[in-house]
Amino acid sequence: SLSLFAIIRYCLYILFFTGLSPFLFCRRQQYVGKVRFAHFDTHVQSSKKVVVATEKNVFAALNTRTGELFWRHVDKTGSEGNIDALLLQGADAVLVVGNGRLLRSWEVNIGGLNWEILLDSGSFQSACLVGQQDNVKYVAVLKKTVISLHYLSNGHQKWIENLPDSETVDYQAVYSGGNGEVYVLGVVPHSHIAVVVYSVDDGEILKQFSVEAAWLSNIQTSCAVVGKGMLTCVDSTTLSLYMLDLHTQLQMTQLPLQTLGLEVDPGFHPTLVSTQPNAARQPLSEFFLQLGPEHYVLLQLNNGQIVTLRDFKPAMLVSFATTGEKTVAAVMSPKNKTACGLNLFSADTGRRLLDTTLIFNMDPYGGKPETLYVQAFLKKDDSVGYRAIVQTEDHTLTFLQQPGRVMWTREEALSDVVTMEMVDLPLTGTQAELEGEFGKKADGLMSMVLKRLSSQFILLQAWVSHLWKLFYDARKPRSQVKNDVTIENLSRDEFNLQKMMVMVTASGKLFGIDSKTGTIVWKHYLDNIPSNAAFKLMVQRTTAHFPHPPQCTLLIKDKDTGLATLHVFNPIFGKKSHITPPALPQPILQSLLLPLMDQDYAKVLLLVDDQYKVSAFPSTKNVLQQLQEMASSIFFYLVDSSQGRLSGYRLRTDLSTELIWEVVIPPEIQRIVSVKGKRPNEHVHSQGRVMGDRSVLYKYLNPNLLAIVTESTDSHQERSFVGILLIDGVTGRIIHEAVQRKTKGPVHVVHSENWVVYEYWSTKSRRNEFSVIELYEGMELYNSTVFSSLDRPHAPQVLQQSYIFPSAISTLEATLTEKGITSRHLLIGLPSGGILSLPKMFLDPRRPEIVTEQSREENLIPYAPELPIRTEWYINYNQTISRVRGIYTAPSGLESTCLVVAYGLDIYQTRVYPSKQFDVLKDDYDYMLISSVLFALFFATMISKRLAEVKLLNRAWR
Amino acid sequence: MASPGGQGGGALSTRGGGGAKRMKWALELSLGNTRSRGDRQGGQGDVVYPIGYSEKPVPDTSIQETDKNLVEKRCWDVALGPLKQIPMNLFIMYMSGNTISIFPIMMVCMMAWRPIQALMSMSATFKLLESSSQQWLQGLVYLIGNLLGSALAIYKCQSMGLLPTHSSDWLAFIDPPQRMEIMGGGMVL
Repeated sequence: SLSLFAIIRYCLYILFFTGLSPFLFCRRQQYVGKVRFAHFDTHVQSSKKVVVATEKNVFAALNTRTGELFWRHVDKTGSEGNIDALLLQGADAVLVVGNGRLLRSWEVNIGGLNWEILLDSGSFQSACLVGQQDNVKYVAVLKKTVISLHYLSNGHQKWIENLPDSETVDYQAVYSGGNGEVYVLGVVPHSHIAVVVYSVDDGEILKQFSVEAAWLSNIQTSCAVVGKGMLTCVDSTTLSLYMLDLHTQLQMTQLPLQTLGLEVDPGFHPTLVSTQPNAARQPLSEFFLQLGPEHYVLLQLNNGQIVTLRDFKPAMLVSFATTGEKTVAAVMSPKNKTACGLNLFSADTGRRLLDTTLIFNMDPYGGKPETLYVQAFLKKDDSVGYRAIVQTEDHTLTFLQQPGRVMWTREEALSDVVTMEMVDLPLTGTQAELEGEFGKKADGLMSMVLKRLSSQFILLQAWVSHLWKLFYDARKPRSQVKNDVTIENLSRDEFNLQKMMVMVTASGKLFGIDSKTGTIVWKHYLDNIPSNAAFKLMVQRTTAHFPHPPQCTLLIKDKDTGLATLHVFNPIFGKKSHITPPALPQPILQSLLLPLMDQDYAKVLLLVDDQYKVSAFPSTKNVLQQLQEMASSIFFYLVDSSQGRLSGYRLRTDLSTELIWEVVIPPEIQRIVSVKGKRPNEHVHSQGRVMGDRSVLYKYLNPNLLAIVTESTDSHQERSFVGILLIDGVTGRIIHEAVQRKTKGPVHVVHSENWVVYEYWSTKSRRNEFSVIELYEGMELYNSTVFSSLDRPHAPQVLQQSYIFPSAISTLEATLTEKGITSRHLLIGLPSGGILSLPKMFLDPRRPEIVTEQSREENLIPYAPELPIRTEWYINYNQTISRVRGIYTAPSGLESTCLVVAYGLDIYQTRVYPSKQFDVLKDDYDYMLISSVLFALFFATMISKRLAEVKLLNRAWR
Repeated sequence: MASPGGQGGGALSTRGGGGAKRMKWALELSLGNTRSRGDRQGGQGDVVYPIGYSEKPVPDTSIQETDKNLVEKRCWDVALGPLKQIPMNLFIMYMSGNTISIFPIMMVCMMAWRPIQALMSMSATFKLLESSSQQWLQGLVYLIGNLLGSALAIYKCQSMGLLPTHSSDWLAFIDPPQRMEIMGGGMVL
């Protein structure tokens, strides 16, 4: 049937097809994550780099002109690769990685590693550059119990010293003013500050003293060194500044803020912002004191006296920047609701610098500014110019240049995509108009005719304007023609290959991305999203129901409180829907999207609360009536992995539920890792498999089947195991159970059609293994017209086979096509950054050990324990995708084509053709030759027919 | 001047040499105009046939018996034709093998098409056999021969796997079963 289908399609597309090349459709976007440290590279005048270290353990250099990556280094995830500190000195960037595990130095220009050394164990506290005589040569690393000094040039350790009384004193900060001394500051909470002074040359303790400070608990949050070694602290309880001269070690002097005429906002913990432009010199004597969320004061330490230079209120963010000998303070203050103003002030005097205003227009669908990084530079006339990077709450980086030009923005929230869906684009406006006309009810002949005529006229108008645009664009040089994707020209293409990718990120920002160009069409930041929220995205109404707009619903659940909210929006435009979602006072356990529709064609969403009561959204009368009728056939299941409880419920007509089955997996022995049902939009074309003798082995296609993966709690390599349980979600009947001994997770599982594929680590053989389970009904179908889990007396036949896979994997997914005719492939995300498209044919439990005539007839590959990795199976060629966390597949309008999106740190979009492009013509298809031959043959037939007629007539006359 | 031969170019003279249309007598008005007789030999020009002479040879009734046998034989030949072809067809079938490629397919098509064509033009064959006394028997034999031929073609199709006789051939027409229950859920969020 495949070949027949192919021939029909082939004939059809001769007429319609316009060339597609597989290499044109892959797009990768690289991200770095939320920025933790950023430094502008200033060691050369012409440098256009900003060096960033992020919370995703990425260290990268961004091009300040374009926002693209110069280079990027991705470290291990988790605390092992955590970047603790970033210090930039000249062309070297020194990083402390993995809670003080490693000290690394990178060359900033090309991103090469200068050196890397392993530090002694101990938890990292602080690090600073140490200079002498205007020359920064060392880096000091302070740990819980030791301090060590390393050469910047090669990383070698100059000296290491144990800290005195490290059991009682909590050493938190290290400071050097460039005078050959290193100050280590420790605190005994609510008692005193301990200061140890080391000599840079040999690590000898020069001084050691302690000062009474009963109010202090954390140096890093409330203290800063200002001016000539003056440790300045701010205390929120007594509302005063404390100052201690580290050189003279006198008493701490208290200075109540009231005496300076300053007032702290109630409940606010004041903080200090100071700057040390050169590590070989003392810090500046000017510093900021934050008194409230939008209130800063610029203070100056002048001969032991604090002078207020300028009061900034309202001010959202402040930052110091230095160029040459000049240091300026940048202050961002709100201008109106949608814009902020950025101004430069001289740090010495607090005077505003002329012509330094910069307007930052805030995205109405974005977050508030969070961090400000400023790069100052000297203009030709010796005035100070600047550029700024603003990081907002939604992890967006915006690069601004005077007078408010946005050079680029980076949506770093996309480095943490949680879930996504692909939504069909709408037909063009005109097509939709026509569709709407036929969709509406007929109301009189005359009006229908008029309507028809008007829509035809609109169509004509659109066509003319399209022609005009084509003509207009053709006159312009090619480089000027923009291929911008706007909402106006977003429309479905012939084969529905272009879709809208709706992505939900962990920061709570939603994105709509055009899959063809990778352009962000819309973004929407949802504020007050809890940090540990669980998201579930559902498409309630597709674009197929014009004039009703498409509708997506995002369920956001706070894992702490269990309370959930719904965000209903239009996936094409990103706009929040006018439909008010129901208030959910009870904690929500799960949701369930029913195939039922209300009168507006929106699918019904059921929400199950912790009382096992169900609420429907939308909950119109029509819906409730439908639910009452259908209630007896609506089932749902819940899996509680903490209690190891699987339970199935049936809906009652009054929207309460009754428990119908329960399976308990003792959580002391094994815990439930994942539960996989089948995808609701999956189609299976063939109901069976043709055997070598041309009989049929029918597939067991239970739509209610669940694959449950468990891992043993005992992680000893002899006793650990991985279990898989196939269970019917309606009846709770266990269809199959398999245990893989001496194996452990993480387990990746795919469940589709009649098969389950899972991957695990075999501790016995120390290798990754794939296992496949296939289910068959047998040679006869029990009931070919309907499938009911309640009426299935026969257990299916289960076949299983395992294979060795030569690599670890990070994620697993199966391709999906429109009708399910195309053969399936498994898409395997590898830790190396490749995505492998492995034919499902290799994972077939019917692969024979001994080849027979029949198995050859069936095209079964003889069993071989190793699965190959062929280089041509990499669908992303050389475009490495870092830390692939998930792969999303969606069918397109072409049966042969499956759309694939891989997301992780990067986002990669491509198309795959598991059975090759059997329904489209090749690129090199010779239209000219074929059509000219056809026409020539046609005319030859016509001419010869005519000639034959003439000849016959002549013969008749003779 | 009367001449039974009807020579000359007179208006009443007959044209053509067919004996059946020959006039009993004819009047020749113009003499010597013999050139217009295309169907006459030069020498016979003005020769008057003797009485009783006919240009048409009289059928020899003495060999009528053997002729009848010949017709009968000829008819049997026609009737047995398809049967005789069967061994040949068997040989071709054997030689062409069971692989599906252009030549075996063409062979099978020919083998199937010929008997069908023959069966379709059965009435024409019957007309041919009209003169035979064993017309019905011969017709029956002819029919059986052709049916055997097509049966052979079908068998060949069968052995080549071209007939939809297995359940797998109908697999593509089975619709996916309708789902009776709606189920959903998952891990507690």
